[in-house]
Amino acid sequence: MGTTSRATYKPAGLLSRGQCLLFGALLLIPCIELLFDLGISAPTRFVLGFAIVGIGLNVVVGFTGLLHLGIAAFMAIGAYAFAILTCTIYPFQLGFWPGLFAALCIGALAGAFLGAPTLRLRGDYLAIVTLGFGEIVQDLLKNLEPITKGTQGINPLPAPWFFGLTFASDTPKSWYFLYLAILILCTILVRNLEHSRVGRQWFAVREDELAARCMAIRPDKVKLTALAVGAGLAALGGALLASLISSTGEPGNYDFQISILALCIVIVGGIGSMTGVIVGALVMVGMNSILLPILGQKLQQAGIGTTTSVYLAPDNYKYLLFGLALVLMMRFRPKGIVAAREEDH
Amino acid sequence: MSATPIIEVDSVSMRFGGLVAVSDVSLTVDGGSITAVIGPNGAGKTTLFNAITGVYDPSAGRVLIAGRETIVPLDARAWRSIFLYGIASAFLAAVFLNVEEIWLSAVTENYVYLKPFPWLEGVGDAGALVIAHGGWAALVGGVVGAAGRWAIWSRTRRTPEIVAESGVARTFQNIRLFPELSLAENVMVGMDRRMHAGFFASLFRLPNAALERQKAREEATRLIEFVGLGSSVDVRARNLPYGHQRRLEIARALASRPAVVLLDEPAAGMNPTETVELMELIRRIQGTGTTVVLIEHHMRVVMGISEKIAVLDHGEKIAQGTPTQIRNDPKCIEAYLGKEELG
Amino acid sequence: MFDWFDSDVLLQQLLLGLSNGMIIALIALGYTMVYGIIELINFAHGDLFMLGSFLALTLVGAAMNCGLVDPALMGESSHWWLLGTLVVVCGIFCGGLNLCIDHFAYKPLRRASKLSQLVAAIGVSFIIVNLGLFWGGLPMEVLGGGGAAAAPKDFPHLVSDVNLLGEESFVVMTWNDVVIFVVTIPLMIGLTLFVKFTKLGMAMRATAQHATAARLMGVDVNKVIAATFAIGGFLGGAASVLYANYNSTVSFQMGFRAGMDAFTAAVLGGIGSLPGAMLGGLLIGLVRAMSDQYVGSEWTNVVVFSLLVLILIFRPTGLLGLKQREKV
Repeated sequence: MGTTSRATYKPAGLLSRGQCLLFGALLLIPCIELLFDLGISAPTRFVLGFAIVGIGLNVVVGFTGLLHLGIAAFMAIGAYAFAILTCTIYPFQLGFWPGLFAALCIGALAGAFLGAPTLRLRGDYLAIVTLGFGEIVQDLLKNLEPITKGTQGINPLPAPWFFGLTFASDTPKSWYFLYLAILILCTILVRNLEHSRVGRQWFAVREDELAARCMAIRPDKVKLTALAVGAGLAALGGALLASLISSTGEPGNYDFQISILALCIVIVGGIGSMTGVIVGALVMVGMNSILLPILGQKLQQAGIGTTTSVYLAPDNYKYLLFGLALVLMMRFRPKGIVAAREEDH
Repeated sequence: MSATPIIEVDSVSMRFGGLVAVSDVSLTVDGGSITAVIGPNGAGKTTLFNAITGVYDPSAGRVLIAGRETIVPLDARAWRSIFLYGIASAFLAAVFLNVEEIWLSAVTENYVYLKPFPWLEGVGDAGALVIAHGGWAALVGGVVGAAGRWAIWSRTRRTPEIVAESGVARTFQNIRLFPELSLAENVMVGMDRRMHAGFFASLFRLPNAALERQKAREEATRLIEFVGLGSSVDVRARNLPYGHQRRLEIARALASRPAVVLLDEPAAGMNPTETVELMELIRRIQGTGTTVVLIEHHMRVVMGISEKIAVLDHGEKIAQGTPTQIRNDPKCIEAYLGKEELG
Repeated sequence: MFDWFDSDVLLQQLLLGLSNGMIIALIALGYTMVYGIIELINFAHGDLFMLGSFLALTLVGAAMNCGLVDPALMGESSHWWLLGTLVVVCGIFCGGLNLCIDHFAYKPLRRASKLSQLVAAIGVSFIIVNLGLFWGGLPMEVLGGGGAAAAPKDFPHLVSDVNLLGEESFVVMTWNDVVIFVVTIPLMIGLTLFVKFTKLGMAMRATAQHATAARLMGVDVNKVIAATFAIGGFLGGAASVLYANYNSTVSFQMGFRAGMDAFTAAVLGGIGSLPGAMLGGLLIGLVRAMSDQYVGSEWTNVVVFSLLVLILIFRPTGLLGLKQREKV
């Protein structure tokens, strides 16, 4: 029982100790690469993008206790909003930063629109509604071909710029630092929410909705905020990831598997803990986008992995790995690698 | 004491399927008093609390808090909300069903290569197109949206949050704290009703939100001391011993500065010393001007502190009066001790 | 008045909708029964159904290899015995598998939060999807020789394709339609009677009402839950054979779509209610068929989703569901 007396109480800092350590380690990666070229800061940018999605999803699942199974839809909304507003084949061409901000706002609005009619429902119904939404957003993007280019995806998308610095595919390190800065900013802001009235309302609704209601907290409003924040951050992450590959990719890329990847990030890392989410992103996306492809390449080079056999391509074990991660975590370590709220102050 | 009634239960019945848990119970609680509701197990006491606090909707009858029925009226505000939802979904339907045409006329046709996009004209053309072609879609969408809002509104006219908003706080028979939150945070959730920090103030940690939080924390610490749990405000609630959890629940209920607080078996599971402390606490709560209603089995507590007692049995109120009257009421004795065998 | 409105087309779509609807209803029963008892959306149910159809296809292939059926006659003559055997075998397979899933994945989490259980169910669903992918890569002729594991597989018609309404009729109704009703209706009636009149069925209803009270009254709740999973799985397995035979295709990803439709059907009818799941399944089947024809098949998922949201707004308990109260 950790007891703190009133005298030692300090308001929560900008970042927790664990988060500071983690970000410090992440900052070191490109610095080490200056000495030894490991080639990992380029793919780790994807981890950073997914970490932002994970932080958004964590607000919904970890803080508010709502199971959200369609977060990929909001990544798609963010990516497409960003693409339509910035891509040179469209008239708007707002540029990177306004496009990013617009993607965030449009994502949050979409989250609120989905939530407004359905948030008074029982928890599991929300899971189904978000799941269905995740599916139909793909359909909508495919069907509205004149606007979204259908299954082609939209490209090229602008790379970021920052006070005279421009970013290109041959400068992954500065690009990495920029995304890390955005991730840190998101972490600080969400942490502010976590330690405020808004966060307290989220936790209260998660812990005991009826008791919270008897304390005059309106669960629908509270859940709506969580859903909008989660959707906004997912859209931001989606836009950042799209900018990274300079394309939205086809709508089918934002499928259920991506939603579950994001869920795995939250659950494996530590549900309700932002440090955990970033660790989870490192583990899951690291496995998904770095380890498995490298392993596949190595197998190919060794002449073992043939394209004809389904069993020898590491990529084909993704579902199994995600599934096992979820089942085993729930069974043996339901609080994740980094348990929530042990890292608070 | 000639106080004004704070709670008026007016012939309330609660039916669950065929089971009548509360049948035609009327009860008046005077402001500033301590009232006890007693009765054997299954008499409908907790159900009555649930009906008062909006957890259940009474099958019949009504509950007045401070003379007002705690039900969302079909007033201008409700109509405005229905209207806004109707407009919003009409707009969405009209835009969505014509989205390709809107794109064509508002975006594609307004775009001149290498020139900045004329936003005003685009929006204007889009608006014109929605007005010209969106009629049916808007009508259907608007009706569905308004009807949907109305359906949700009519289902949630009397909910716990609305009753709590009018100044009623409660505790639960089987303690319902927020187990993963600290003591201070549990109490601060109770204070939420009186807090103002909005989303953006919280997001950017603006000074007013930070100040409010600081003050709330200090007040929470005071309240935790008030119920006798000082010095451990940062412990998680689930780590508290049972008796302390009950007191924390009382602190959380008091945090909303309610006009009336409903305590559901506050002394359950407490030892004699704790029980005496609890009685003392309840008197102090009354001393702050808060009305107390409690369900209790400990007769010592009930007889010791309550000014008025209502007795429920099998869902019906069989007696009401001062402790002395109840102690001598044959019906109450019968309910508790069983009918005296004749002959 | 409407040139697109053709009574033949309408009839054909109605038949298609009813047939698919009956299959969806059968899957939905598995969802609604489990949800009714332990309030868990058994996410893996749809994928279990997928695995059932893979078993069916493999067995058909085995029967062909053993010379029990002639591949050339598929769709010409009817192999009633094979279809019947498949329904029973796949039913038992899925029932048993569902039982194992419950035992190893869900049972240890019975006291955990609902969120953990649901997450575990999603995990199981993913594992099964991967198993389906690997199954599809087995070197068997019916599975495409093991070359393209992820590709959809053709499922031969086990019963005759001859139009029962005559050669000239525009509306096509074959034994493939009839067999769906012949199998599903007795199963549904049997299930209803079972739940109403047998001791185990009564125990199920009691557990669904209040698990603790049922336990105190001497009901073996664990046995009831196991039975529920077994029965739900059996219905899903039976549905998988009918689905594969009717739609002539099997793919490792079909469980997701079927599961979505079936769960939507269960919610539509009122989750926890058996007649509700049947009604919901039929409605979803009909709505899908109508939307495919009159709105465009690329919009069908959008139509079904909108329907789900509308139902949840206007009647959150579903069409035949009862209001549930939280115990305080």
